[in-house]
Amino acid sequence: MMINFILNGQKVVSTAKANERLLDILRTEFACTGVKCGCKEGECGACSVIIDGKLVNSCMVAMGYVESCTVMTIEGYRKTERFAVLDTSYASVSAVQCGFCTPGMVLASECILAKNPNPTEAEIREGISGNLCRCTGYNAIVQAISIAAKEGKGLW
Amino acid sequence: MVNGYQATSLKEALKILAKESVTPYSGGTDLMIDPEEHATFLFLARISEMKNIIEDTEYLRIGAACTFTEIIENELVPEILKEAAAQIAAPAIRNLATIGGNICNGSAKGDSALILFATDAKLRLVSSRGERVLPIAEFYLGRKKTALKSDELLVEILIDRINLSNYYYKKVGARDALAISRVSFAAILNVADGKIVNCMTAFGAVSDIIIRRPDIDAMLVGKTTKEAKVVKKEYIAAYDQAIIPIKGRISAEYRKAVCMNLLRDFLESNGI
Amino acid sequence: MENISGSIKKKDHEAKINGSALYVDDHLMDGMLYGRMLHSAKAKARITKIILPELPEGYLIVDKNDVTGVNRVAIIIHDTPVYAEDTVEYVGEPILMVVGPDDQVVETILHKIVVVYEEKIPVLDMLTSDTVFFDYNYTKGDMDKALAEADRVFIETFQTGYQEQAYLETQGLIAYPQDGRMTVRGSMQCPYYVHSAVANAIGCEGKDVQIIQDVTGGGFGGKEAFPSILACQVAVAAKKANKPVKVIFDRREDMEFTSKRHPSLSTYKVAIKNGEITGMDIDVLFNSGAYTTLSAVVLQRGLICANGVYRIDNLRVGGRAVKTNTVPCGAYRGFGAPQTFFAVEMIMDHIAKEMGLDSLELKEKYMVKQGDSTSTSGKYHFHVPLPEMIQRIDELTDYRAKRKQYQQQIGRYRKGIGLSMFFHGCGFTGSGERDIIKAVAKIRKNPDNTVEILASNADIGQGLKTTFCKIVADTLGISYDRVYIDNPDTDRVPDSGPTVASRSLMTVGGLLQRAAEKLKKEWQEGKEQVIEEHFVEPDFVIPFNLKDFSGDAYPTYSWSVNAIEVEVDTLTATTKILGAWGIFDVGVPIDMNIVMGQMEGGFLQGIGYASMEQMDYNAKGIIRNNSFSDYIIPTAVDVPNLVAEIMNNPYTHGPYGAKGAGELPLVGAAPAYVEAMENALGANLNKVPFTPEDVMKILQGVNT
Repeated sequence: MMINFILNGQKVVSTAKANERLLDILRTEFACTGVKCGCKEGECGACSVIIDGKLVNSCMVAMGYVESCTVMTIEGYRKTERFAVLDTSYASVSAVQCGFCTPGMVLASECILAKNPNPTEAEIREGISGNLCRCTGYNAIVQAISIAAKEGKGLW
Repeated sequence: MVNGYQATSLKEALKILAKESVTPYSGGTDLMIDPEEHATFLFLARISEMKNIIEDTEYLRIGAACTFTEIIENELVPEILKEAAAQIAAPAIRNLATIGGNICNGSAKGDSALILFATDAKLRLVSSRGERVLPIAEFYLGRKKTALKSDELLVEILIDRINLSNYYYKKVGARDALAISRVSFAAILNVADGKIVNCMTAFGAVSDIIIRRPDIDAMLVGKTTKEAKVVKKEYIAAYDQAIIPIKGRISAEYRKAVCMNLLRDFLESNGI
Repeated sequence: MENISGSIKKKDHEAKINGSALYVDDHLMDGMLYGRMLHSAKAKARITKIILPELPEGYLIVDKNDVTGVNRVAIIIHDTPVYAEDTVEYVGEPILMVVGPDDQVVETILHKIVVVYEEKIPVLDMLTSDTVFFDYNYTKGDMDKALAEADRVFIETFQTGYQEQAYLETQGLIAYPQDGRMTVRGSMQCPYYVHSAVANAIGCEGKDVQIIQDVTGGGFGGKEAFPSILACQVAVAAKKANKPVKVIFDRREDMEFTSKRHPSLSTYKVAIKNGEITGMDIDVLFNSGAYTTLSAVVLQRGLICANGVYRIDNLRVGGRAVKTNTVPCGAYRGFGAPQTFFAVEMIMDHIAKEMGLDSLELKEKYMVKQGDSTSTSGKYHFHVPLPEMIQRIDELTDYRAKRKQYQQQIGRYRKGIGLSMFFHGCGFTGSGERDIIKAVAKIRKNPDNTVEILASNADIGQGLKTTFCKIVADTLGISYDRVYIDNPDTDRVPDSGPTVASRSLMTVGGLLQRAAEKLKKEWQEGKEQVIEEHFVEPDFVIPFNLKDFSGDAYPTYSWSVNAIEVEVDTLTATTKILGAWGIFDVGVPIDMNIVMGQMEGGFLQGIGYASMEQMDYNAKGIIRNNSFSDYIIPTAVDVPNLVAEIMNNPYTHGPYGAKGAGELPLVGAAPAYVEAMENALGANLNKVPFTPEDVMKILQGVNT
């Protein structure tokens, strides 16, 4: 029996076993290498994806769990208008350094804004608190999300 | 599905559980840290009987497969549980992790389990043979050992509909997010007609099992605040004996000191 | 603000934010095999036997017998084995690699291998070490006289712990043989370091080795020397298999078995006469771990700044880096300086308290100014902006008033504020740049009038691609879009040196600026032109002599003052950081956003070092804090109020006035934090990290 789900807007079927990690399958079977592996323990957020509108660590998800779900990775999200706003805002404050946390951080940003289009700084920080970044000290990322909230009026 | 079963109803899940050698998979956030290579999972996330949060005359009933995000966002859930749930890990984990998983994991560090100890919650365990309701204190048998039978599922958590608004809660972690409890403490104290009608305390992450000692707390029940002050010393001494932190990476001395400090602060904040 | 400081979209932004940037683990090659290392389980042992399971077809074991060159990794001293020989010297030492087409099968084979050890008693504590790897001593003035004439001598020992770089991308490389050559690509800071190491290990000429840096997910020093070790192992495997081999460390493997910041013990004896500090006698001990790797140079830097930013006329500094049976330590942002700056800042604070002075008052009295002599009798050639930094910190934080106000506190929550002042010597210590590295950088103008930068420095997130291109574009007066730089490939770029020591922008950026100036003069439309520049030491530098540590250890210094304000919860002994302020002088910022990102990120790493990042080995020499749940680094909510400000202090000999930036912000966070804790707790403290457990002991009056 195969596992059916929607990946970045496309119906897909995976031959993976139900106990395999979504992270590994996304990277190998579906070539979504924008999903990064930082720890495989749910502690860093580099592998964040959005399942049914909610941010999750894909290393903590067994393939069987995603049956009939909608999964969005950076590969799908980057085609959206909302991404374009975040892209610009991240660039404007140079919030990307080594880049390894960035795809996960961008998806976390999306989930913050989707829930609350006008978040406070504290809410932004809370929203990315599961996404470790060792380079930036987080200030630029927080600023970028706050700029996106202002610039992306109506999109969220 | 290889190495997995999808259940869409409780009945179906229990049938599979009775027949096959499977690991119930709720949110997966504990199981996937170090998954067994050949594990066969029974996925529970689609079982609607395990996803409800409802009130009846006696209890608030929380489906075991409710995620912490769902618990935080539900208006029926008491503040003490929401506060504890909101301090678990980070949003992405709270979107997956479930209250049932936090309990069945059997760890004394479980942040929601602590609240359920402090509120003397009960667990509804169901198998294809029937069902039973167990006080949470009886569910925990030892470190990572629970009373759950291999054909049973934890379906609901039942919290008595008593007043839980006057609570005290503190989680002590290493940082403000993504933190595992080093010590946690929860307590509820209600006063009616000038007398303490209930006092419920629980200490997490210090021992193999969350420490809940109604026998000690009973010292304060039925007393006025003034009378409680008289037995305060004795009460604290009893907990000083009862709390024996197990050795860990964080010293037993530190954890003991924090427990006692929080216990005293809880009493003081209630005028005792 | 200078024009060049205006920010621009980073060259690497697009590919990284949209997820298309390929890091080493994102590369697949035809026929590629996966390798996993068998690490020693013992801290010190002789390997008596290795029992291997039967291997499925296509799987192989790679070990010391497969090393076709020298079984040593060429770092500074060639003592690190590529694969262990008869003995193992620390838990984690690589013994062999299992290689094969399926990663999970490789893992299964790995678990079936049995190593029989004859265990020996390991030396874990650096105080009991019987092997001194490096021993340096230098003096200035007459310390014996200062001690003999002193009417008071302060003696105190300070301790600092491990710090793990915790870059988000773990170590990883791919090696593949091709046309009789060996290529190694992946996550690294220093392609030419890897280049020499691989040639030495597989026993071939340099021309037969190619090293390519892939997009690298952070380094912070952790990818300075370690990739040389891993590259030798992977290249040997690829040579034996005659196929591409990929090795990606998992997080626990990376945290436990790769290099980290040296733990230290520094003892300060400070002579006081008539209320004046007359001399400092300093003894520094660094735990090197089992092999020397970069300990020599880390220790040198630590010793050179052991007297901090203070003018101390009589100075005796001695230091040893000793061997223990623990993981080899190595480079980490700050490179020996955070350890001794912590010690000197704390002892100044403690002396001040004893003398009834405010710590800042005492520090201000002794802090150096332009023209003063350095610890090594070199010279601070340029303006020292500490006074205006202190003033600015005071404006931002009301430091002086708060410091007094917090001295007497009761109640559950107690606040404290602390301040540190420090520098970071820019570039390599001593004459390394002139005598060893001899950097060469090139720019090539293409017929289409685009310009490519050819240098071996790696953009590991710090923005080097962007700043290099800005310098060249601005100097040439052409648009930024017409200048580009690829990840370094040793087949294409000259050796402009490693990406370390806060040198890349100042030193190599300077070469690029000169090359661009020359190209501008010689510019010919539509023609290919190549300009090459070689490092020349600035004239003003007093040559450094390593024998007696004399002369200018650094051409110039980056400066900073930090203040941190805390609130301690006396019930839980946990600490909330109310604010962290840093004023930084890194010369002229070549892109303000990038510099701010470096300052904020480095400062937060320093606060982690001071407060929560704790790592230690147990009685068997095993590091147990080997995961992100056990080795805690700051999240976005831990220090919400972190403020960095730049003070523009142009360096006449740096490109556009720039000097070293990357390391500075980490160096002084620890003393500022611990001073704040002292202010809150009313006690003298002497260690980092200073954890809640330490706080509890102070609150309970337990002597530590």
